Amino acid sequence: MTNPEKNNANLAVPRVAVLLSTVHYSLSTGRAATEADEKFLADIESSDEDTAYAAWSVADRMSPEVIPQISKLLVVEQLLTRRAAGEALNNIVHSVGKAVNPAGFSANSGRPDDPGKQDRREQIVAQLLNLLDGKRTQLEKVTALRHLSLLATVDHVNAIARHVQDAKLREEVVFCLERIPGKTAEEALAAALPQAEDAFKPRILAALGHRRAEEAVSVCLEAMRSSDPEIAMAAMKALGRIGARTEDGVQLPDFDALSDWQKIEYHDSLLRYADAQVQSGNPEEAQSIYKEALEREEEHWQCAGIIGLAKIGTAEAVAAIFPKLNSGTNTVRITARKAWRAMAAKDAV
Amino acid sequence: MDSTKQSTRRKFLAGAASTTLGFTFVPSSVLARPAPSDRLNLGHIGIGGRGRRFLRPLTQLNEKVVPWENLGGQGDRYLRPALSVALCDVDSSRLDMAATVVGGKPRLYKDFRRLLEQKDIDAVVIASPDHWHALMTIMACQAGKDVYVEKPAAKTVEEGRAMVTAAERYGRVVQVGSQGRSQDPAHHAKRYINNGGIGTVRKVLCWHYENPRGDWTADAEPPPGLDYDKWLGPARSIPYNETRTHGRFRWMLDFGGGQIRDRGAHVMSVAQWIMNADDTGPVSVEAEGEPHHGGIYDSPQHMKVTYEFKNPDWTLVWAQPGIPSEEIEAQYGAVYWGDEGRLTVTYGDRQTTDTEQKAKDFKTPYGGVDVFRSPGHFENFEDCIKSRKKPIMHIESAHRVSILCILGNISYRLRRKLEWDAVNERVRNDEEANRLLSRPGRGPWHL
Repeated sequence: MTNPEKNNANLAVPRVAVLLSTVHYSLSTGRAATEADEKFLADIESSDEDTAYAAWSVADRMSPEVIPQISKLLVVEQLLTRRAAGEALNNIVHSVGKAVNPAGFSANSGRPDDPGKQDRREQIVAQLLNLLDGKRTQLEKVTALRHLSLLATVDHVNAIARHVQDAKLREEVVFCLERIPGKTAEEALAAALPQAEDAFKPRILAALGHRRAEEAVSVCLEAMRSSDPEIAMAAMKALGRIGARTEDGVQLPDFDALSDWQKIEYHDSLLRYADAQVQSGNPEEAQSIYKEALEREEEHWQCAGIIGLAKIGTAEAVAAIFPKLNSGTNTVRITARKAWRAMAAKDAV
Repeated sequence: MDSTKQSTRRKFLAGAASTTLGFTFVPSSVLARPAPSDRLNLGHIGIGGRGRRFLRPLTQLNEKVVPWENLGGQGDRYLRPALSVALCDVDSSRLDMAATVVGGKPRLYKDFRRLLEQKDIDAVVIASPDHWHALMTIMACQAGKDVYVEKPAAKTVEEGRAMVTAAERYGRVVQVGSQGRSQDPAHHAKRYINNGGIGTVRKVLCWHYENPRGDWTADAEPPPGLDYDKWLGPARSIPYNETRTHGRFRWMLDFGGGQIRDRGAHVMSVAQWIMNADDTGPVSVEAEGEPHHGGIYDSPQHMKVTYEFKNPDWTLVWAQPGIPSEEIEAQYGAVYWGDEGRLTVTYGDRQTTDTEQKAKDFKTPYGGVDVFRSPGHFENFEDCIKSRKKPIMHIESAHRVSILCILGNISYRLRRKLEWDAVNERVRNDEEANRLLSRPGRGPWHL
């Protein structure tokens, strides 16, 4: 298979582009492009696949200051150049990702597994953050955020989070913040919630749930009181995933106002919450949720109730499972018997 | 805990068990013909090339259904009566085609949640692109469906663990489509090796051919009838390109992941099974490889991944291209190296496994290791729907196989060795690698 670009009559064009981009490079970085940088950028733009590959495969050795130029090449017409630029950026980012300390760059100082890479990481992150500003294309900004999701730390949360109300970028901003460990990212997500458009609130709530962000319980409880079932259910799902114990009298979404699928998610959220209570040593509240599940008509809710109660294993839980041993529903009966055997085996040890 | 109370509870449990557990389930495999009342109502999510193979048309409802060779099994039993009552695909053309094959009036959906809401569906077959497997499986469990999901199980380690948790929470049967385990030659090989046929195995070398390169194709508008946003689902948004959508998504690292996932989920599934490593994982993973220098696909053309296991110590190698077996000519498979010999188990030619004659002829000695023989991959799933037992490629095992594939690709992408903590499912001392173990969702699609 051959690259159609190889047969392109305009082979000279990329070289001109390199010369122009080199001039721009010096202006935009305030640093004269080194000979190695110039050759690297020219090779990335080469219409010869092997030359481009040779360049992108050693991109990790190039100065982080080539990043603005590589970024521009992500959106050129030539498909090979786009690919080469993308791979080059990947290699630059991955070359410094290992020793990122989620607690921040400053915490990395002097680490034995970080031989001189700290400065380079900071430079790379700074270059990626710069791409979020100004007149960069949407693709460049999105690409920068996806790379920042792998490298950024608490030190960079604010610089990223300030783009969260940008309707075109917000999905990628939340994606990026969701991957950055530490409470700072969770606080930034929670802080973004009140100002967010209603249509985007479920996305932020999903991120908080995915992060198991205990600090976000109060904003989730507030969101769960929303009259918009999408927001209320997103908040309930987040709370189920976070699993932190909530006080009595929490206002759950209006069940009758939910769609069929939301009703499934409603019960699922309760079960996730109950599972989290068992894990955190609060079986009493979980037990009542599981027992309620046992009373439902659907066999899988009954099974979930049996499985949950068997994990608790109190006399009350055992007594609740007992009638299910002779359930007329095959799945429920077998699940109850398996749970029973498991509890008996555990007791015998 | 109060000892008197415990004693009472123990007696209660034991007494009840002795009086109520006398019932023995008789698998339908020993019956001549399943009762019509055993009929399964199936829902299908993703009905492209692979998904169509699982359709159960109305015209075959009361006929003997010959198991598909690819799924293993002896073909000497009736499949349980089943009917495809609901179909879902994000591409209208595929939906229409499948409806014609099934006949009657199957319910058609573009949103799989609508299919999952149907209370008369017992089980779903998921043959969507890889990046959808986890969410669809988890949501099917929430809706009370048993699940047959295509391999590889998950796109990320976090997804795989969430699938296991969902199946356990709801007590669902989840069979993953690494059907090699249900094919007789793999069973013969496991029986032979586990009974000491080649001594202690210390090395398993998998070989495979290269990943494709992919034409240079420009991005374009999605075709009418394809809901591309739903096709993307939880994956990061990228422009539509036909060269990386239907069927060919598998060569992109962000959607499929190349041969190590597409075929590794077969070859390494069998290896993990034979090596009795379904509940463990490697301690280190080191990949080297090189991509095609051009073309649209970013999965590596060449790749070699070395996995080190401890207690017992053994090495698994995935190599594309690797060194083919001298004993059996095949496109891909694995050679098991023991201290008293070696054995080849292939997977590829005509989509079935094969192994050497010495393993096929082997009879388990009295007191030897007995190995479960699957009646066929889908039949095993059907049996387990009724018995509620774990199928031969249940989700926990499949998650472990997925981890091998995922870590191989992460090591390749990051160009460094990974030290793996199989208990906590984390990479030691590598923050970036750990961030790649999960992938935040997109839009309304989240774990």
